[in-house]
Amino acid sequence: MTGTDVPVIELVDASRAHVGPPVVHALKSVSLSIARAEQVAIVGPSGSGKSTLLNLLGTLERPTDGRVVIDGRDVAALSDRQLSAIRAQHIGFVFQQFFLLDSLSALDNVVTALLYRDIEPRQRREVAAAALDRVGLRTRLHHRPGELSGGEQQRVAIARAIVGHPAAVLADEPTGNLDTDTGHAIAELLTGLHSDGASVVIVTHDLDLAARMPRQISLRDGTVHSDTGARV
Amino acid sequence: MRRLRDAARLAALGVRSRPGRAALSALGVTVGVAAIVAVVGISDSSRADLIAQLDRLGTNLLTVTPGRSPSDEPVHLPDTAPAMIRRITPVQRASSIAQLDASVRRNAHVSVADTGAISVVAAQPDLLSAVGGSIDRGRFLDSSIDGFPTVVLGSDAATQLGIAVTDGRAQLVLDGQFFVVVGVLRPLALAPELDRSAFIGFPEAATLSDGPVPPTTVYVRTDPDNVPAVQAVLASTANPAHPTQVSVARPSDALAARAAADSTLTALFVGLGAVSLVVGGMGIANVMVIAVLERRGEIGLRRALGARRGDIATQFVAESLVLAVAGGAAGLCVGTLVTAAWSRYRHWPTSLSLVALAGGMIAAAVMGTLAGFYPALRAARLAPAEALRSPT
Repeated sequence: MTGTDVPVIELVDASRAHVGPPVVHALKSVSLSIARAEQVAIVGPSGSGKSTLLNLLGTLERPTDGRVVIDGRDVAALSDRQLSAIRAQHIGFVFQQFFLLDSLSALDNVVTALLYRDIEPRQRREVAAAALDRVGLRTRLHHRPGELSGGEQQRVAIARAIVGHPAAVLADEPTGNLDTDTGHAIAELLTGLHSDGASVVIVTHDLDLAARMPRQISLRDGTVHSDTGARV
Repeated sequence: MRRLRDAARLAALGVRSRPGRAALSALGVTVGVAAIVAVVGISDSSRADLIAQLDRLGTNLLTVTPGRSPSDEPVHLPDTAPAMIRRITPVQRASSIAQLDASVRRNAHVSVADTGAISVVAAQPDLLSAVGGSIDRGRFLDSSIDGFPTVVLGSDAATQLGIAVTDGRAQLVLDGQFFVVVGVLRPLALAPELDRSAFIGFPEAATLSDGPVPPTTVYVRTDPDNVPAVQAVLASTANPAHPTQVSVARPSDALAARAAADSTLTALFVGLGAVSLVVGGMGIANVMVIAVLERRGEIGLRRALGARRGDIATQFVAESLVLAVAGGAAGLCVGTLVTAAWSRYRHWPTSLSLVALAGGMIAAAVMGTLAGFYPALRAARLAPAEALRSPT
């Protein structure tokens, strides 16, 4: 831990079991903390618990044991309403399948992320346009997902993730559906986000992408196998 | 306020992005609301027509007929009754008729027993103005043809006898004597009993019956403001010796009663419309449940973006509400059109109460909200991580 810096997200002995039968221990007693503006890659074979770890970091799931602390608050003690507020204000997600709404323009897809935040409807479009500009899609504001390439769609998704200036951007296989060149461009965009002050956590199979990140956490069978940034 | 507007916009978006399915799922509500509006509208229009008829015909017509003697034997009105009645000051007109014991036939080859339930009636020239009737073809009896064997037919009688012309070529046989048809009446709303009659003048009636005929009904028009007062003295004026053997009636009461009555059939059809509305609501609920299954990815995404359970529930309830209200609005239009078309066909004034329109709309909205609850609950209960695992 850097000491002076309060971690953005901290896991303390966090476990996650999926109720069975059979009971699956997706994550076993994992402790780690993500510092402000830190760039972290999470790697590991399929079924090693990468996605579950990302869900815990993003409060999409609660730990069955241990603690997850975000913004100084223990997730276990928070209501659905409070957790939703944390996701709206502190966390941005990027998914492998983009999860864009087909009937909405790029701009409106980004605006969707602002619907659940306290922001005036009039400002939403301005802020969203700025986020799309940040990912290089200034000329594509009014295109629908169907009219955009895969890389462009993922850029829209990234704009949607960063539009609320979250403390952490969590990406689950962001280049998994893209060809190599496009994947590189997306990786570049994601790794550049820390200059905006956001922590970036990327779950990936792509070792090239992982190698670009200063810190790599390798999972195996639900536990941390290695962590290049671990400080005791 | 902002949340409300966002919810409305999201709901409209959800409906717009699958227009075909939205239209189909709203169809049930459309049919239900259309049925309710049309049934209420048609019943309203029919009532409006009755009331208009009443206004046109007036409620100041009274009839005087012989009652019964204490020993339940038939009695007659005195011959002087019409003249006496005319002396009551507010009485504007009093016209008497006499039912005759005579048969009317198309020609001499038809059996005398085969009367077709058409009665022969002696009438005075001012009968039509008293009962508010009018001529369809030809003319009515008047003094210029008194003494000639002429007959005028009520509308049903003319149809039954197959009389189409009144130019003097059509003749009927009344008690073995030829009479020329000179006129046919329109239906008489206040005296429908006369529609199956053949009218001849009192002088001809006297000839047929070998003597003067006593009046059997006196139609009395009074000053509209004094109807009850006249009604009260009619019996004793018509038959001063035996006022209890006179019966006095107000034919417009029957029309007024019909106008006031809520027909059971109307209630039944409104009930059917309500059933159809409920079925329509269930259709929407079904479609919404499927939509929730299909849109798990979207639900997961919105939860990841910070939507609360309540936001998700609101979105789906609002979508269901929009579907039902759109369906209901279409139903209002269809129901109104059906009412207008039917009234036009029946020559009624089109009348549709605001209560029916508002009621149909509110019923649709309530139905939509109820239909949305269960799907919305399912959507809100989805665990975010699980919802995101499903493909978009």
